[in-house]
Amino acid sequence: MDFLRPASWQEALAAKAEYPTAVPIAGGTDLMVEINFDHRRPDALLDLNRITELREWETGRQTVRLGASVPYSRIMEHLRAELPGLAQAAHTVASPQIRNRGGVGGNLGTASPAGDAHPALLASGARIEAVSVRGTRMIDVDDFYLGVKRNALAPDELIRAVHLPKATGPQAFAKVGTRNAMVIAVCAFGLALHPDRRTVRTGIGSAAPTPVRARVAEDFLTAALADGGHWDSGRPPAPSVAAEFARLVAGAANPIDDVRGTAAYRRHALGVLARRTLGWTWQAYREQDRSPACA
Amino acid sequence: MTDTTARPRTDGGVVAPAGGAVGTARTRLEGRDKVTGAARYAADVPFDGLAHGWLVLSTVARGRITSMDTAAVLGMPGVLGVVHHGNAPRLHPAGLFGPDGQLQLLQDDRVPHVGRPVALVVARTPQQARAGAAALTVTYAQEPHDTVFRAGHPAGRPAPAAPARPDADLGDVEAEIAAAPVVVDQRYTTPEEHHSAMEPHASMARWEDGRLEVVDSNQGSFMVARVLATLFGLDQEIVRVRAEHVGGGFGSKGVGPQLVLAVMAATLLRRPVRVALTRRQVFSTTGLRPATEQRLRLASDSTGRLRAIDHATAAFTSTIQEYVERNTEASNVMYAADAIRTRTTVVPLDLPTPGWMRGPGAAAGSFALESAMDELAQAVGVDPVELRLRNEPSAGPVSGLPFSSRNLAACLREGARRFGWADRDPRPGTRREGRWLLGTGVACGSYGAGALPSTAAITARADGSYTVSVGAADIGTGARTALALVAADALGVPPESVRMRIADSRLGAAWFAGGSKGTASWSWAVTAAAADLRERLASVDRVPPDGVTGRGDTTDAIGALGKQERQSYGAQFAEVAVDTGTGEVRVRRMLGMFAAGRIVNPLTARSQLVGGMTMGLSMALHEEGARDEALGALVNSDFAGYHISAHADVPDIEADWVEDVDDSNPSGIKGVGEVGIAGTAAAIANAVWHATGVRHRALPVRLDRVLESGFPAAR
Ligand SMILES: Cc1cc2nc3c(=O)[nH]c(=O)nc-3n(C[C@H](O)[C@H](O)[C@H](O)COP(=O)(O)OP(=O)(O)OC[C@H]3O[C@@H](n4cnc5c(N)ncnc54)[C@H](O)[C@@H]3O)c2cc1C
Repeated sequence: MDFLRPASWQEALAAKAEYPTAVPIAGGTDLMVEINFDHRRPDALLDLNRITELREWETGRQTVRLGASVPYSRIMEHLRAELPGLAQAAHTVASPQIRNRGGVGGNLGTASPAGDAHPALLASGARIEAVSVRGTRMIDVDDFYLGVKRNALAPDELIRAVHLPKATGPQAFAKVGTRNAMVIAVCAFGLALHPDRRTVRTGIGSAAPTPVRARVAEDFLTAALADGGHWDSGRPPAPSVAAEFARLVAGAANPIDDVRGTAAYRRHALGVLARRTLGWTWQAYREQDRSPACA
Repeated sequence: MTDTTARPRTDGGVVAPAGGAVGTARTRLEGRDKVTGAARYAADVPFDGLAHGWLVLSTVARGRITSMDTAAVLGMPGVLGVVHHGNAPRLHPAGLFGPDGQLQLLQDDRVPHVGRPVALVVARTPQQARAGAAALTVTYAQEPHDTVFRAGHPAGRPAPAAPARPDADLGDVEAEIAAAPVVVDQRYTTPEEHHSAMEPHASMARWEDGRLEVVDSNQGSFMVARVLATLFGLDQEIVRVRAEHVGGGFGSKGVGPQLVLAVMAATLLRRPVRVALTRRQVFSTTGLRPATEQRLRLASDSTGRLRAIDHATAAFTSTIQEYVERNTEASNVMYAADAIRTRTTVVPLDLPTPGWMRGPGAAAGSFALESAMDELAQAVGVDPVELRLRNEPSAGPVSGLPFSSRNLAACLREGARRFGWADRDPRPGTRREGRWLLGTGVACGSYGAGALPSTAAITARADGSYTVSVGAADIGTGARTALALVAADALGVPPESVRMRIADSRLGAAWFAGGSKGTASWSWAVTAAAADLRERLASVDRVPPDGVTGRGDTTDAIGALGKQERQSYGAQFAEVAVDTGTGEVRVRRMLGMFAAGRIVNPLTARSQLVGGMTMGLSMALHEEGARDEALGALVNSDFAGYHISAHADVPDIEADWVEDVDDSNPSGIKGVGEVGIAGTAAAIANAVWHATGVRHRALPVRLDRVLESGFPAAR
């Protein structure tokens, strides 16, 4: 097995172009497990750890450009205000040791339906900056997950960064696991209110072959909030609306039975998480200054 | 005297301040070495010319090996040899407690379960050995297997009685039940569980000058050396086994498969061979707690006074060794009743042989008995603490023997006081805090205590130091430190002048770190050696350059002990919160009060008790070995799939003890390693009932089970 150690981003892109089967390694917290269990045996590893800009982020007027290798612990520490959904999700990943090494680039690279970053990325409307020697593409997160552990990257592409809109309203992430930490999600749910556009977005984890949005539920809730004048009044949506939202979220999932939980349990729990996150985010929305201009 | 160093006085007394070390909190003697990485575990010790062995495990649950393509592997880089049933040394019957079929490795072509070692590939590096093992093609003639345990399984048969505790048959259980106004009759199940010690098993074996030397990770080097000698037909004199530092065992580190295979390879290849297991191999090859199904019938009068306890249990074993999980022990000693009956069934299946796992028998047995007691309290309408106090026996309920000391009532009373039990509203399902339902529960536990024959020696040196040599094992418990304190007090010297030599089979016969009897057994021998030494010192003028040695052997003294009921006891209290939407259970706090004899080192004793309670919490909520019926293999054989509680699951756990004077043994020690896990799971399950109004009789109390049990609607 070859071990390529590019010293710069340009070198990394060149190496990936020359050796498209080389597998990038960032924190290694997914990849080393796979190698250890002999699930894959790459010809070459492409070590991204010398490329410092992958561990940096830039906060612009409307978006955060989050380097692919910014570890979860830094997201929790520094980006709580700008990216509250992702920061909450980061908080539930593994243990402090893993959070010090693993990052969103690796979560996207693996593209496991159980990756905890995905619901937050889906709910916020992130875009993935995929780069190769051929140039740069911005991939909408909605188009990124293609199948179980398959993503939209071309063989010569690397993830440079993830662009996330700065939160214009409350966001929430909730995860159910069979223990309280160090646990693969039985199911997870992310919800973001976008008061600037008067829409909501969602993300479901661990309950379908890929991370998915609950689009019907989003449309329903977006319409219900508009029809009821809730964005202006701040009044919480009626319990029947929350219940219908929860039902639609549960319906958007396509879960399976496995050792971590039954499909029926996952559907039920997703509904519960949907109702709860709606309650939490709406409560936060009422409590903050909600003039749309403040975004 | 002009010599001012703390050395023995020739009059048999001492110059150093006497006593007081036992009972004071001391950090571990080897603590610094462990936290700085200086301590070497079995797989860390370097040897010249060391070769590495890698296990090849069976992939079928039952059948015969029809061929093994060793030629291809022998040609691989670095591969030195493949040990298999065609070339392995023949073994004699041997085991820690009688012949053990598990140890008869590579003796024939039979495969009794998935994960049975079928070969060992030896190479210059671990990587080469691993590659060789992965490449070894083994073909099997597969036979139908049966790996699904249930109590009524047709293969089930009555277990042979435990030597000291035959099946109980006190009074007329059926008549009492028929006549009693209140009867609880329920079944409880516990799943297969795994020890999960942090250090995976590892052994190095080599022949040097006609002697077999072993560096091992085990719970008792003397007993391991004896088994090895018998197994390989060697004189025990030429076998030396050491296990200086051991990263946990929980019962799984007797004579490990890696040790037997390392000795085979070292013998065949005439060079040192180390075999270190991976975590997955640990799951497959080093024992487990078997699944159990227990039926408990309790009958009482209208005040809760017990008229009958009927406890029948079944657990699986393998087809190669009859392991009996003695779940009914607690029903023999916990409560007084007019009639007590216990029955134990073993069901041999095509599964790995179970073994002792922390609190064997007691951990799962107390879940059933103490859950049933809670159900009885509910049925009678008596507080569960009070119910237990009402059934406190004055002597062994079945044996009639006196208790060496008991003090369970003191644990219950003091525990209830500290936990704030008096304010508890007995009604279930009534306390809400937002999305959480809250409840509290109590349960008791016991674990056998006592000492087993051991030897020790103490050498006084001219420089005023004392070297204690005892074949003890410190598997992370703090035994080394505890024994230094015991020795210091017995010698009447400060602990700083005591040096400890342990974990070496050459140090003489000693019981192992098991059955919660290690510290009691070794301490007694150390105390005896100290007395002998003091006598010898009394008769010498000054300590000669090669020192003066005193020896202790407790065999006769223990043989002469009268019959008594000897147990540690505990009462545990738990508070849980149950998420009404997702069924998640969070333990908020736990308190354990114990009566465990004399506490040698409060620091490490507390950590044993808290550790036992933590493992009990893990058993209550998380641990569950899942097997695939079609393959008979463990599905979750790693820590991503087999969940033990994480820090975030473990709340404030408090463990403390009441005074408990047991003078049936001169050390007064009862042992704290296992009583901490007895009763924990029941305390938590009882608290879940109190929170939700729904009983959980199947462990673990999983979130889907909680939710699907249909307790108050989600919100
Ligand atoms: C004990 C443990 C617990 C865990 N718990 C959780 C959990 O609770 N939640 C969770 O979501 N995950 C969990 N994980 C998985 C893992 O930590 C995360 O998926 C993490 O985000 C991976 O990041 P990494 O930098 O370590 O990725 P790596 O392992 O380095 O890489 C993962 C994949 O992404 C690819 N990759 C990495 N960087 C790039 C890039 N810049 N461009 C293109 N491809 C790239 C790699 O080639 C590889 O295929 C856990 C892992 C462990 C070992």
